[in-house]
Amino acid sequence: MATISQVSEAPSQRSQVKSGQTFIIFLALVATFMALWPFLFAITTSFKKQIDSTDGTVIPWVQYEPTLLNWQQEFGGGGGDATFKALRNSALIALGATLVATILGTLSGYGLARFKYGVGNKNLVSWFLSQRFLPPVATVIPFVLLFKELKLLDTLPGMIIVNATFTLPFAVLIMRDHFAEFPAELRESALVDGANEFTVFWRIALPLSTPALVASTLICFAFSWNEFLFASVLANRDWKPYPMLVAGSDSVRGIMFNFVTTRMVIAVTLPVILSLMVQRFIVRGLTMGAVKG
Amino acid sequence: MRNNRAKYAFLMPGVIWILLFTLFPLGYSFYLGLTDFRLGREAEFIGFDNYSEILGLDGDGGDDKALSTAGFTAFLAVGSTSMTLLAGTFIAWIFNHDIPFVKQMRAIITMPLFAAPIALGFLGVVIFNETSGPVNNILQGLGLPRVNWFISPWGARFAVLFTDVWQWTPFVFIVVLAAMQGIPEDLFESARLDTKSNWLLFRHITFPLIAPALGTVALLRLVETFKAIDIPFSLTRGGPGQVTQTYSYYTYEKGLVGSFQLGEASALAYLMVIVAIIISAFYFSRVSARFE
Repeated sequence: MATISQVSEAPSQRSQVKSGQTFIIFLALVATFMALWPFLFAITTSFKKQIDSTDGTVIPWVQYEPTLLNWQQEFGGGGGDATFKALRNSALIALGATLVATILGTLSGYGLARFKYGVGNKNLVSWFLSQRFLPPVATVIPFVLLFKELKLLDTLPGMIIVNATFTLPFAVLIMRDHFAEFPAELRESALVDGANEFTVFWRIALPLSTPALVASTLICFAFSWNEFLFASVLANRDWKPYPMLVAGSDSVRGIMFNFVTTRMVIAVTLPVILSLMVQRFIVRGLTMGAVKG
Repeated sequence: MRNNRAKYAFLMPGVIWILLFTLFPLGYSFYLGLTDFRLGREAEFIGFDNYSEILGLDGDGGDDKALSTAGFTAFLAVGSTSMTLLAGTFIAWIFNHDIPFVKQMRAIITMPLFAAPIALGFLGVVIFNETSGPVNNILQGLGLPRVNWFISPWGARFAVLFTDVWQWTPFVFIVVLAAMQGIPEDLFESARLDTKSNWLLFRHITFPLIAPALGTVALLRLVETFKAIDIPFSLTRGGPGQVTQTYSYYTYEKGLVGSFQLGEASALAYLMVIVAIIISAFYFSRVSARFE
């Protein structure tokens, strides 16, 4: 992929049409604002009192008097315990799943980039990636029954297993593409010097993989953090992650907008911040090989 | 020989993981679909009875709910795929110009992709609210009628559709932008001698060269919306009535809520698996060559 800086150095398609340039910049700003304003609306609503929450106003201090009440309720007093517990659960589940997916994905990704397998590498890679195409409702039913037998319902290992399984394709894809670009001469000269395949992987290939490893880790983490369907069935008490709390926001007295948006902001903040750190890998990581990235 | 051992040592852990946690559950689910299993009751093997009941092959009509939820799923998949392709391509075209702060704006635009869909559904509840939501206020400001997003069936269908489109347009945007940036600049330079029209340049140079990427991304979008459940779950609870219930959502309710008809739900889910297998075979036949 041509990086953005390369592109902006090249003369643009339109650079001759200067009058059009301002309009293009305006359109770019509109597109950016379209992506951003629902988040801004959620943030502003989360600082409203219950009574102001449905009056359609948006500007704090000018249009309404902001309050920290919703945030205090979510993190303090009796409600705070549930919040912290769910956030802790989410973090532990996502960390565990990310660790498993990244380790397995790195090993398989290295194998698929470096060796030729009898069944065809392209078939193997497709097989790994095709897990992303399966509807989760098809595997959640057998998981309930299996987890019940194995006493994994509502446990940390159980939640790690399901999340690692569905994020594994991201890790395989990112790591395979990364290792495929790794210079073969480095590996071959090390092998000639007497190192074995594992030493080459551990001492040479892996230390040069930090950016790809970080990208794989962050993308797996973000998607595990957001997972709701499996959690709603497999973890509804002790290991309830934060999206379950979000989903239960409307159960008590109908939906209180000020309160729901507070939870929404909490739920999306971490993955959205992580996404800003992996910009270079988003195309490659999320598109299942659609573009080389 | 040693080389061979290393070769499989790298690959096998991942393969074994998927065999255990994807293929085994899928096989188990196929078996369940051949039984009349309900929670708390002995399962009895009934062959393909679940399937013939769902599809109406037993003569007394199919499963109406399966049919209507499949209909809404198709509406969502086709609607969201085409709208995200249009909007994403247009935004990519905008950003394929000389624009200051491209990186920063591109980063902001991709933010919705990383937000939990379950949370976005609730955000939709606030934003599409009939009386206080900004969407209706904007419509009114433009002199358009306010819409009863959650009461009218078409309002609710479009509320789900727009929320999904908002989340996934960035996905098409980043893929198409990458494809556009791969087009050599000199192609435009020579063409500009013949025309000044941006539309003609797009139509005759950009579009043919990004078409393969568009086809691939369309397939990905179809699969992704076809599995959709989180957004309708939190945005509309499938309502009003069940007009915004997706097929996944219906399967979920059948098997995991209420009477826990796990056998029949597994059969419902398996019909989806078959469609997913067909789409993914088609997809990987297009993209897998580069994995060799």
